[in-house]
Amino acid sequence: MIILTVRTFSLLSFEYATEGIRSMITAQIEVSGLAKRLGSVEAVRDVSFVAAPGRVTGLLGPNGAGKSTTMRMLLGLTRPDAGTALVGGRRYRDLADPTGTVGAVLDLAGAHPAMTARGHLRSYCALGAHHVERVEQVAELTGISEYLDRRVGSYSTGMRQRLALATALLGDPRVLVLDEPSNGLDPAGIVWLRTFLRGFAANGGTVLLSSHVLTELQHGIDDLVLIDRGRTTWTGPLAEFTERGTSLEAAFLDLTSAATASVISDTEGIRA
Amino acid sequence: MIRLLRGEFTKLLATRLPLWTLVSAALCGGGLTGLLALIGPENATPPLPGLDTPEGVGIVVGMSGLLLFVPALIGTIAVTGEYRHRTIGTTFLTVPKRGRVLAAKLVVFGALGAVYGLVSSLFAGLAVVAGAAARGSELGVPLGDLAALLARLALAAAVYMVLGVAIGALARNQLLAVGIVLGYFYFLEHVLMIVPGVNVIHPFLPGGATAALTDFTFLSDAIAEQLPIAAASTTTPLVGALVLLGYAALAAWLAIAIPLRRDLR
Repeated sequence: MIILTVRTFSLLSFEYATEGIRSMITAQIEVSGLAKRLGSVEAVRDVSFVAAPGRVTGLLGPNGAGKSTTMRMLLGLTRPDAGTALVGGRRYRDLADPTGTVGAVLDLAGAHPAMTARGHLRSYCALGAHHVERVEQVAELTGISEYLDRRVGSYSTGMRQRLALATALLGDPRVLVLDEPSNGLDPAGIVWLRTFLRGFAANGGTVLLSSHVLTELQHGIDDLVLIDRGRTTWTGPLAEFTERGTSLEAAFLDLTSAATASVISDTEGIRA
Repeated sequence: MIRLLRGEFTKLLATRLPLWTLVSAALCGGGLTGLLALIGPENATPPLPGLDTPEGVGIVVGMSGLLLFVPALIGTIAVTGEYRHRTIGTTFLTVPKRGRVLAAKLVVFGALGAVYGLVSSLFAGLAVVAGAAARGSELGVPLGDLAALLARLALAAAVYMVLGVAIGALARNQLLAVGIVLGYFYFLEHVLMIVPGVNVIHPFLPGGATAALTDFTFLSDAIAEQLPIAAASTTTPLVGALVLLGYAALAAWLAIAIPLRRDLR
């Protein structure tokens, strides 16, 4: 009996210790020289950036700039033709506990319409070897607790986004990668998401999110990665970007597709 | 691997697929066999051997082998559903070693196929016994022989579901995969059966192997009677079983190996 008690105690203290260490583990995203050809299109030519722990990094670019392809290469869903994409110094597929390290919300992330949200979350909880209690916890975090037993087919787009985020959080990851996460969210949902991501980063988490909507990122990010026609055209703190004297919108248009040849050479100058 | 099996099993139970599997197994097993047994094979046009002969029982029970495309389709639809509903991305994010995901799916659906086969055979057995009793005729084979035949049909159902899963994993597009399954089992294999010269390979095609496994030569004999060609031969049940398992192994290997390098867009 006494032995049993001691064991329980040591187990608890061990868990506490690992929890303590865990909250200090941070992982940086490092993308370097990524390139990918999809059929005849050079979707990504040369994308390089770093997303640091404790910061929210926004990947901004017009439609077709290569944001989603970059994210898929980062997550091991698509093989790069050249370059590397690492999380905490490793390729995604080499991570010991992938969903315990990175949580991802992609436009690929669907759900079977005949499943309840609980069934969906339980399935991925089992597949990722996470504790089944996480199902209730992530539902609480993303505000879908009340709808857990409804079939996903009856969910609105906004609810699906929340379910996708809940799925990404099952492994209690230190890194979040989100592709256009605001799609389908109402204004209150967007504010909620922004607050959530800020809190996640404030706790030492790394957040990388993409958007083609400039104003969406304006208030929610620390660092900006501009990407256009498969190339990174600007990286750095958002504050530096807006300090360039022009409005964010004008700078964005300067640096993306609307740019003339002279502006592009100007851009190269800024990057250098 | 255990957690992957648990994960895939949890996923399967979260859908209505197990229910539909049981319902279709009962209908396919009991329905067709029951109908034939009640009508009586001797009343068919042309008349077939009655239920009081071993041949009659073989034909009535073996007919349900023609419905083996059903377990194949269940496997196909389940796997392509992951692509259709875009859950495959989340699945591969959770388990980046894709070969393991497919291996787990093949095991889980092999088990579901066995359940399908057992339920289908149970209902087919009950239907043929009840049909013979209702018509007041003796069953042409001992119950032990009937059970052995039904067990072989159950094995075939499990193999077909694995084949269906593999075809689905390779084709990915649900419509395309369903088209391949139906087109092959309903059309291509029957065409191959009647082409002189080509039909010597029939015993080694999935349908021919199934016919050998279940001693069901009714179709090939009927075709041979109508056409001036030699009947497509069949091998022994054991060779049939080995050929079928070989197809399942080949399909499983392809389904595990090929998706590894494919890009998910």
